[in-house]
Amino acid sequence: MRMKLRTEFIDREDLIAYLREVFPAAAERSAAVAELRGGRQAAESLLQAMQPARYATTRNHLQGAVTRLSAYLRHGVLTLAEVRRAALRHAGAEAGKLVQELAWRDYWQRIYAQIGAGIWQDREPYKTGWQPVDYATELPAEIVAGQTGLQCMDSFAQELHRTGYLHNHARMWLASYIVHFRRVRWQTGAAWFLAHLLDGDPASNNLSWQWIASTFAVKPYYFNRASLEQFTDGQYCRACQYYGHGCPFAATYEELQARLFPKKSEGETNK
Amino acid sequence: MTSPLIWLHEDCLNPHSPALQAYPKAPRVFVFAEDPRASLKRIVFQYECLLEIPGVEIRRGEVVTELVQAAREHNCQRLVTMSSVAPQWAAICAILRDDQQLSVEVFAPEPFVDNAAGEAERFDLRRFSRYWHPIKARALSLNPPFAG
Repeated sequence: MRMKLRTEFIDREDLIAYLREVFPAAAERSAAVAELRGGRQAAESLLQAMQPARYATTRNHLQGAVTRLSAYLRHGVLTLAEVRRAALRHAGAEAGKLVQELAWRDYWQRIYAQIGAGIWQDREPYKTGWQPVDYATELPAEIVAGQTGLQCMDSFAQELHRTGYLHNHARMWLASYIVHFRRVRWQTGAAWFLAHLLDGDPASNNLSWQWIASTFAVKPYYFNRASLEQFTDGQYCRACQYYGHGCPFAATYEELQARLFPKKSEGETNK
Repeated sequence: MTSPLIWLHEDCLNPHSPALQAYPKAPRVFVFAEDPRASLKRIVFQYECLLEIPGVEIRRGEVVTELVQAAREHNCQRLVTMSSVAPQWAAICAILRDDQQLSVEVFAPEPFVDNAAGEAERFDLRRFSRYWHPIKARALSLNPPFAG
């Protein structure tokens, strides 16, 4: 339906009510609205609050000093160049890790410019011992609904739907769970993330999924409970019904490798 | 010369973009296309970005149709936009130029690091490390000695 849309609103509630009315199908798919606000002003506030030096040492932890700038970068509200400069001014050499992570986004964008729609194709064969046909094409409904019973994965799925954001490490764990523990094609999971992430774009999203899957890496990425527990302060494990028994992640890396990739005769995996 | 129409798209919602700075008085339009995957939270986020762009006109419909209609309404014979790596963006630009006979001026966002060899610089994209190594010194310096 063609129309010109309103640009004057009393407040955020007024805007949201209007958009629910104008985009009913989108609201029906997922009615949630993120707390994170769009716009240059919000982006500049986060830019000011950035802690590049703390980022370098804490970023893998769910409570770490991450920037939350990704949705603004994805929509070009901020450029990579200005975030890079701001980080270097804030922290000098200690901003190195943050600048390198910004470079990943530039790297993904350059690949997307080269391959276009090929971003949905496997860049390389899987290094898991499995063939593409061995992976399911549908995402299990309980994963999408956040009802697997696994406190960590269910929390991540619900947070994705509610906020449109996940910490990078949570994305890696959830993606790895989907691709390697449930053996679902990375494309299926990538499409699910893209529909919800405020920062979702095919370049960073799909190529990161391919890195997890091993179709754009020399080995698959997987994790165990000890690692997840460490970087989450055990907040999910403590509340999980499977903590004492039945947790699929409670194993050594060697045990997981044998279980997840039994056809893989040799080589290493990302941990 | 008449004013161009600025086409805003989801890859550049910056109120200080080079396109908006080059034509501060030009009409500017964003089109929400029908997207069967779009979630409301994404639309709200983009809308809030748009509302900080003075004078923005927001439409809903098929992108080319709406841009052509907006150009007609504002008496614009040419379009200005920011570049994007998305293939859909290139496809829309091609239709505007080839089928609609509109000229399209494209501005690029500031690059992540200054290109050592200008636009001709080529990157090895096989693995991140191959891309990162040659640009690392420039990326980590505020005033790279060989900036272009």
